Amino acid sequence: MLAQQLVNGIISGATYALFALGFTLMFGVLNVVNLTYGVYFSTGALIALYATRHFGWPILLALPVAAIATGLIAVVIDGLLLTPLRRKKAPELASLMVTLGATLLLYSLMTAFIGTDIQRFPPAAIDPSAIEIGAVRITRSQMLIVGTAFAMVALLLALMRGTRLGLAIRALAENPDVARLMGVDVTLVTFFVSFVSGTLGAAAGILIGLNYNAIQPYMGEAMMLKGFAVIIIGGLGDIRGALIAGLILGLLEGLTAGYIASTLKDAVGFLLLVLTLWFRPVGLFGRAAAKRA
Amino acid sequence: MLKKLTALAALPLAASIWSAAALAQSKEPVTIGAIEILTGPNNKYGIAIKNGFDLALDSVNKNGGVLGGRPLAIAYEDSAGNKDQAINAARQLIGRSKVPLILGPTLSNEMFAAGPVANERKIPIVGTSTTANGITAIGPYVFRTSLPEADVVPVTLKTAQQKLGIKKVAVMYGNDDAFTKSGYDVMKGALEKLGIETLTTETFGSKDTDFSAQLTKIKSLNPDAIVVSALVEAGSGILLGKKALGFPEKVRVIGGNGLNAPKVMEIAGDAANGTLVGTPWFVGKSDPASEKFVDAYKAKYNMEPDQFAAQAYDTLFIVAKAINDAGAAEPEKIKDALGKVKYTGVMGPFSFTANRDPAETSGVVVIEMHDGKFRQFN
Amino acid sequence: MPAFLDDFLFSYQSLIYSLGINGLLALSMYVVLAIGQLSLGQAAFMGLGAYTSALLTLKVGAPFPIVLLAAMAVPALAALIIGAPTLRLSGVYLALATIGLGEVLRIAFVNSELTGGALGLSGIPEKAGYTIIFGSLALALIAFVLVSRSRIGRAMEAMREDEVAAGMLGVDLPRYRISALVVSAMLAGLAGAFNAHVSSFISPNDYGFDAAVTILSFALLGGIGSPFGPVVGVVILTLLPEVLRPLHDFRLVFNGLIIVIAVLFMPHGLLPWRIGRTGARA
Repeated sequence: MLAQQLVNGIISGATYALFALGFTLMFGVLNVVNLTYGVYFSTGALIALYATRHFGWPILLALPVAAIATGLIAVVIDGLLLTPLRRKKAPELASLMVTLGATLLLYSLMTAFIGTDIQRFPPAAIDPSAIEIGAVRITRSQMLIVGTAFAMVALLLALMRGTRLGLAIRALAENPDVARLMGVDVTLVTFFVSFVSGTLGAAAGILIGLNYNAIQPYMGEAMMLKGFAVIIIGGLGDIRGALIAGLILGLLEGLTAGYIASTLKDAVGFLLLVLTLWFRPVGLFGRAAAKRA
Repeated sequence: MLKKLTALAALPLAASIWSAAALAQSKEPVTIGAIEILTGPNNKYGIAIKNGFDLALDSVNKNGGVLGGRPLAIAYEDSAGNKDQAINAARQLIGRSKVPLILGPTLSNEMFAAGPVANERKIPIVGTSTTANGITAIGPYVFRTSLPEADVVPVTLKTAQQKLGIKKVAVMYGNDDAFTKSGYDVMKGALEKLGIETLTTETFGSKDTDFSAQLTKIKSLNPDAIVVSALVEAGSGILLGKKALGFPEKVRVIGGNGLNAPKVMEIAGDAANGTLVGTPWFVGKSDPASEKFVDAYKAKYNMEPDQFAAQAYDTLFIVAKAINDAGAAEPEKIKDALGKVKYTGVMGPFSFTANRDPAETSGVVVIEMHDGKFRQFN
Repeated sequence: MPAFLDDFLFSYQSLIYSLGINGLLALSMYVVLAIGQLSLGQAAFMGLGAYTSALLTLKVGAPFPIVLLAAMAVPALAALIIGAPTLRLSGVYLALATIGLGEVLRIAFVNSELTGGALGLSGIPEKAGYTIIFGSLALALIAFVLVSRSRIGRAMEAMREDEVAAGMLGVDLPRYRISALVVSAMLAGLAGAFNAHVSSFISPNDYGFDAAVTILSFALLGGIGSPFGPVVGVVILTLLPEVLRPLHDFRLVFNGLIIVIAVLFMPHGLLPWRIGRTGARA
């Protein structure tokens, strides 16, 4: 049982990490807590759902198309809501509030049109059979989640540290005014980061929707609460921190439910969150990696 | 201040008189109230119930209405699943629309809030979907037509024990929801009474999607079955998770009323096969009245009815009968008539106990999920 | 009392009560916003007050004034615990931590036998009435008007406009922040106690994230230039959905839209005037 519980923990931890990546990137670079992120998670899953269901697209086509479409939506939302505030140099809480309002608006609009019934991808979208390694079972969609989470972290870190674009992003994260003086096209880089973050959110929504078969507009909201815990524990803006914090949270939750009591499962994340805020508010690894790397 | 508020109040009042006038045929309609969840996350329950009411209403009015030819009308108020809105709705139906009876609200939680308001004003209030313990204990004006879980779950478990020889089970329930928690309380009592051993009791949140930790633990204990009190979302997730972890096929899920929904099979697919639930009614019930209802419902709404629609459908006939028996649209007389009413509908014979709960439990059937359809198990 | 007035009061009683209760909640949000912080824990503080008061009434049979005091003291304590670490950091941390607080409380209420778990507490006697609810609201308003005219009020305004400058001018930032949060929690707790004692039933899911966001929309619509702003916001957002039925169905859409528009286009809300500052423009 222990081996399976550890695998369970890694899978749900990878789920949290995958979700938190785009969220923490947005915070680290753009310096806003963008609550509409949960909406991208739901939107991506819903777009991919309609593409597979109504146009019969295979998931391998629906996933990138839905993710890119959601990335563009994220750019539009950023342009409408956050760019004006940046121009005005409004306090950071103003941007948190505006995204909070937009989140409520978007969720309730989505439910007004498509309801809150859960839906799933057509069963043919992914082979449901599990692979057995000794006493441990893992399904294809679960492997896909774990693989994608690690691959995305590696890709993002490579982008940030190894490319000119990454340099520009880091400059923006450090100080937008200085970055502008250094010749960085701040507007373009901002949109790029929003795009990447929206794409990541959507991809997470699609993969997680594929695994748990519970797609509905509010799926992002439920995930947000875990997302907060993960990005604070991992350090706001820290990409590697999000992965590790996600895995720690997933493992601790699994072990708590398996060996202590399932009633305490949900409390684990928030206990970790409170401990982090009291003793290490900068997160596990200190200063945000996006700013430091 | 008050004057201004009165003016504000007049607006919706004028609107409701206007729409009522449009509905009226020749005589003044008898308008009863209904509080259901018509918007928001749980509106699927409220809408199924409203559909059931409306279908029955068509039939009542086609056959001469109530009280010698007066059409029956329903004034709907939306509670959105929120107890404050449910209270507000009850107060307005009673004080402003002066309804002699209220149907609903949808959730037990809402009834705990709105029931006392109606009871205080001596207006009968009839829940059609409120299955929690203690509903009718609110007061002498609170009725329900839905069989409480306490009447259904023991039948399900007993049937499973007799037909499958189940001796030891694991229990899972959603502990953050009043409906699933109260379902669990009933399960716990019934399991003890039947002498079935409970190996472990695991909880989850109603919004959870990942149940692998709980299920892995359960699998290691080798139960004969898993007894689950969950709503559709979590219930489907548990069935899928159980399949992913490779439970032996003979380990069935035995569910409470929350799993009694076709949606579970739509989401869980073949992972739902073998799941047992008890129900006061199901869509495949072989009974002429029931089949006629299913056909009429499909014709009007283009989908299959669920038990909530069926319960609402019967309830409206029961209420119409009570209004006729009372001889006047007066709350006190309707209340007395409700206590004595006898009716046979799509769910079978119906009457109220002295405690205003349904008296008949003979209609309970245990059904099994099989390849996307419910079929009779016992 | 004439019959029509009796019917009117009966029909609209819970609506009128909610004007008063929401008014207190909006003011509790105002205190925090007024110093440039954001708390998303107002619903949680309200829930703490509601549960504390309901338990004291139901299980202990404590007199109502004591119940109300306790309903303010317990959330105040929670505010201290959560505020102490986060208020040292940037405003974002308080916002996120207060969301966490709401979740922790929900889990605690759900898992505790004492609080009735998910079934909540029912049969709470109706002990609050028009006098005490609207009396408390009036008192709170008067107190805030007096404070905003004083030195404290000017310091708060300075913090909202430019925290760094305010700090350099000698405003004791940490003390103001924690005091504001504690006062805010007390007001929300009081509102929760009133809510529990007029609606006879409370359950853990009544005090979630949606409730917190609605409270924020009250304050933002009315504006936080003066304590009257949030109350005006409450009156509009509580009564409008009753008058315009379509708004009822899209209540959440509307609340969301108000927050977006308020932040982007009218940062001072509907009531831009400030107490004792007519003439000075923002």
